[in-house]
Amino acid sequence: MKAKDLMVPIHDYLTPGSNLKEAVNLLKVGERGDQKVGVMGLPVLDKNGKLIGMLSMTDILKAVYPSYMSMMNLGGFTWDGMLESLAKQAGDKKVEMLMTRDVVTVREDDFLMECVDRILRKQVRRMPVLDKTGKVVGMVYMRDIFFAITKAMLEEDNGGGK
Amino acid sequence: MSQEVATAANQIVMGPAFWIATAIFILAYALIVSEKIHKTIIAIFGAALMIVIGILTQEEAFHSTDLGVDWNVIFLLISMMVIINIMKPTGCFEYIAIKSAKVAKGKPFMIMAIFSTVTAVVSAFLDNVTTVLLIAPVTLLICQALELDVVPFLITEALASNIGGTATLIGDPPNIMIASKAQLDFMAFVYHLTPVIIVVLIAYIITLYFIFGKRLTVKEELRQRVMAMDENEAIKDPVLLKKSLAVLAVTMTGFILHGMLHLEPATIALFGAGLLLLVSGIKDPNHVLSEAEWATLFFFIGLFIIIGGVVKVGLIKWMSIEVLKITQGNLLGTSMIVLWFSAFASAFIDNIPYVATMNPLIIDMAKQLWPNLSGVELLHHPDLMPMWWSLALGACLGGNGTAIGASANVIVVGMAEKMGHHISFKKFMLYGMPLMIESVIICMIYVWLRYYVLQI
Repeated sequence: MKAKDLMVPIHDYLTPGSNLKEAVNLLKVGERGDQKVGVMGLPVLDKNGKLIGMLSMTDILKAVYPSYMSMMNLGGFTWDGMLESLAKQAGDKKVEMLMTRDVVTVREDDFLMECVDRILRKQVRRMPVLDKTGKVVGMVYMRDIFFAITKAMLEEDNGGGK
Repeated sequence: MSQEVATAANQIVMGPAFWIATAIFILAYALIVSEKIHKTIIAIFGAALMIVIGILTQEEAFHSTDLGVDWNVIFLLISMMVIINIMKPTGCFEYIAIKSAKVAKGKPFMIMAIFSTVTAVVSAFLDNVTTVLLIAPVTLLICQALELDVVPFLITEALASNIGGTATLIGDPPNIMIASKAQLDFMAFVYHLTPVIIVVLIAYIITLYFIFGKRLTVKEELRQRVMAMDENEAIKDPVLLKKSLAVLAVTMTGFILHGMLHLEPATIALFGAGLLLLVSGIKDPNHVLSEAEWATLFFFIGLFIIIGGVVKVGLIKWMSIEVLKITQGNLLGTSMIVLWFSAFASAFIDNIPYVATMNPLIIDMAKQLWPNLSGVELLHHPDLMPMWWSLALGACLGGNGTAIGASANVIVVGMAEKMGHHISFKKFMLYGMPLMIESVIICMIYVWLRYYVLQI
């Protein structure tokens, strides 16, 4: 199996100039396959449709997480309402400031093991799939690869009993 | 005396070696100031060039006390970095900062005054940048909790760290460098610099009160956020903390006694670092060691060699003769010039290369003035001592003048920027320059009164 056999086509994407509030709104109603169930991350495309980044849940957590907290051990000194007020402030931040620029991608003809390799090495949960021209044609999700693994495992179990 | 000076000048051979070394020196300093290339890269390359071209031999660069790398400085810095890196995860610095905010009862000016004082005191024993990196994150948190503008707090802490760092031998790199070159011990700094720095700090806090005392207010319910914090939660590793504090106590005692024990400060620090590594139970020292600021350390190493090159060819001697021509051998005048010139020079350029240049310059100047003396007799000539203290005070406090004057300033400006608060060069100078001038005036009165009037 190849990436293109497992990928989910995407119709929604983000633009670098939009703000986080708009981005979050799109993520909330984002399609995954045919269902509008919301997605945890979307690719960011520029005007020409070129992939320039990914905005995922982690990026949004980072958007509200003050940089000083990562510098020292300050988790025990936060207060009720801190997250909410910082979330409100973060709404105006631009997608291009928050997105991950170094996007981990796969090509549509890559084998599934290559997808696993990327996921484990780069610690991502979803990767845009690019066609030969570099255009984003879909997404490969860690979850779907997991299902592919379970399927293969159970199939072999049945077959291996001969 | 002018005849002596003239003879000395004749001894300098201004041949090709002189001009090549001078060119490397000027070019390296210009590139460091321009910040086009990282200063450490310039220092390493410049140093290598000095050796490759043959201005210095490798033997001189690596092993000569007069011309080469000052390992006393390097090992003192490495050792202190190792001690701090082991102590950091214990949570003691978070504890001190949160406790300070609570002692201030969440009142904004009290927080500013106590944080500045704590920063100054901690800076007297740790590197200024390290201190600021430890106090600033907590300051940002407290200001967020109190919904206060963090900028004045960050600036005042950076200034306080530069003030506090001046107080002791280990507080600021210029002092470490001066101590090593002039063979001054820890207690000499305590005796000559700490008193005036205490006065400078008190004057600083009073000045801050006039600037900020009435301006900062905070709502009662926000203060409760700070008062509800439990500083004891900060302590992550009480066992390691106790060991660290014990080793720190041993190290500090070692610093106080090092003159009497005839041990260099670097030896004491290395012993402290070694002891803490041993008792901390760290299995793999790689992590602790790799966290040392190698770029800073190599900056020093490179710089020492570049300076060694221009010392060898006589450029520094030539400069010292020129300085003596200006001051006409008036020692009080020379002290004052050293103090003020150092302050303004350090406000705009890195005080580390500045002091690295001034150290041999002052020694060369002393050689012109007292040609018959050498060694400690020369370095500790009663008339020369005020020069060392003026250099230390000027170079350390001068850093407060501008946003680029000291590494601690650069760090807080960067941190503020990250949090979305832009501190312009002008804004920093608006606070920094007057406060720097205030502190240098105090030092000027001190140097004049103590060394030229009371002569104690």
